[in-house]
Amino acid sequence: MSFKEALESGKFVVTAEVGPPKGTDIAVMKHDMELLKGKLDAVNVTDNQSAVMRICSLAVCKLALEHGLEPILQMTCRDRNRIGLQSDLLGASVLGIHNVLCMTGDHVSAGDQKSARPVYDIESVQLLQVVNGLNNGKDMSGADLKGATSFFQGAVVTPESNPIEPQLMKFEKKVKAGARFFQTQAIYNIDKFKEFMAFARKFPVKILAGLVVLKSAGMANFLNNFVPGIKVPQELIDEMKAAGKEKALDTGLNITARHIKQLKEEKICDGVHIMAIGMEDKVPTILERAGLL
Amino acid sequence: MIITKKKDRGKLLQTLDKYNSFYLIGCSECAALCGTGNDEALKEMAGDLQAKGKTVTGMIIPKTGCQTLGTKVELKKDKEALDNTDCIVVMSCGAGTQSAVEIYPDKAVYPSNDSLFLGNMTRFQMFDERCSLCGDCVIEKTGSICPVTNCPKGILNGPCGGMKDGNCEVSADIKCAWVRIYERQKKLGELDKMEEIIPAKDWSAKQGPHKLYTRGDKEAAGDSKKSKEKKEK
Repeated sequence: MSFKEALESGKFVVTAEVGPPKGTDIAVMKHDMELLKGKLDAVNVTDNQSAVMRICSLAVCKLALEHGLEPILQMTCRDRNRIGLQSDLLGASVLGIHNVLCMTGDHVSAGDQKSARPVYDIESVQLLQVVNGLNNGKDMSGADLKGATSFFQGAVVTPESNPIEPQLMKFEKKVKAGARFFQTQAIYNIDKFKEFMAFARKFPVKILAGLVVLKSAGMANFLNNFVPGIKVPQELIDEMKAAGKEKALDTGLNITARHIKQLKEEKICDGVHIMAIGMEDKVPTILERAGLL
Repeated sequence: MIITKKKDRGKLLQTLDKYNSFYLIGCSECAALCGTGNDEALKEMAGDLQAKGKTVTGMIIPKTGCQTLGTKVELKKDKEALDNTDCIVVMSCGAGTQSAVEIYPDKAVYPSNDSLFLGNMTRFQMFDERCSLCGDCVIEKTGSICPVTNCPKGILNGPCGGMKDGNCEVSADIKCAWVRIYERQKKLGELDKMEEIIPAKDWSAKQGPHKLYTRGDKEAAGDSKKSKEKKEK
């Protein structure tokens, strides 16, 4: 069953993230892909995440396909103009990559090529419109394509954004622009997430809750202080602290597994998106503890 | 106004070292307000050149350096000094510098400033960029706050995921343009405008080099014919 079919069937889906390496040595990534094979509904391949230059998402999506994983092509508007974006989308389509996650993309000032000229010819809402157009056999200038794409297109949303109102208005625009599924920024407070879901459920889209694995109490503080749209509640920080250094990671895995269980059992959302950030090999452990394997 | 900043003086003097005599051109508009092309700035430059053993044959602060014809008339008064000069240093923006190139096509012309952006002077010599001259203005839809300029990503449809407590992902010193737009439209009771998807921009309007003749084609054409006749005479 494809990722799209799984979501549409009402199955609680699981996606995780693979970050392409910086360089041509893909041994670790291949190993992670082998580990994840058969355990996920799809795998997201990040697009020069945090504006740090790495292998392109398109190439790694193709590698994921070859390793038996269904890829979600993450696509940002930072590095390519509308010609490049459309051209890559057509390329993805013929390579058998049919899920795309449309994002504006972190600014170059966050990355490792700070003197680059950022592009942002279009942005996330408009990129969703472009994908919609390609699916209908039209390019951005209205010309007919010789063969349309059949993308299942998604977008991101930050349920803990402050202020939240403009974020929710943008969410609505993304739905209007054709988003079929959303993967959220990391959430840690399930009760607060339920408030967002009460809003999101008014729209005909599927929502996957984003989960970032905590490695330490320090990491939780870092997320709170430096990463926009992430709020780790104090009780989770205390739980991580109480675990001590040796058991910190294990506790982090437990927290993620516990959240997955609750989200699934209480039918709060349609699935989860696990961002293990460098610990992709731990994803099977999380799924096991969540009772999903 | 066009915001300019002085180039590194040491490097500039090194570049100019092969010339012996200089004529300085400032500008009484933007560069004067920026302190890069006013009387004080020109005198300072003259002093730096003289300290290097160079001659300054003259200097002028034209009314509007980018008004080529007017500047040409003003420079005529100083013809002798200009004729006796190896190099013209223009202390305005890049446009003013190229006015001098047009007026003196056979003479070396160098800029003393970097031209940065079109900005507003919000307090004395404090400049903020407000307009990107994108040629396809959307601000009637955004509470007259420009997201193309005020958002580093130029997002036309709402805040990005990098917005943190109302501030920009690029710098906490910048308030998120879309939070500003949201707050303003809320205050004005025009939030419905924020629900509308703004389509992808037509960047062809931004494509330079631009030309705009507002006198009408006929008149402009007639004028060029007239000047041609004048030249032939």
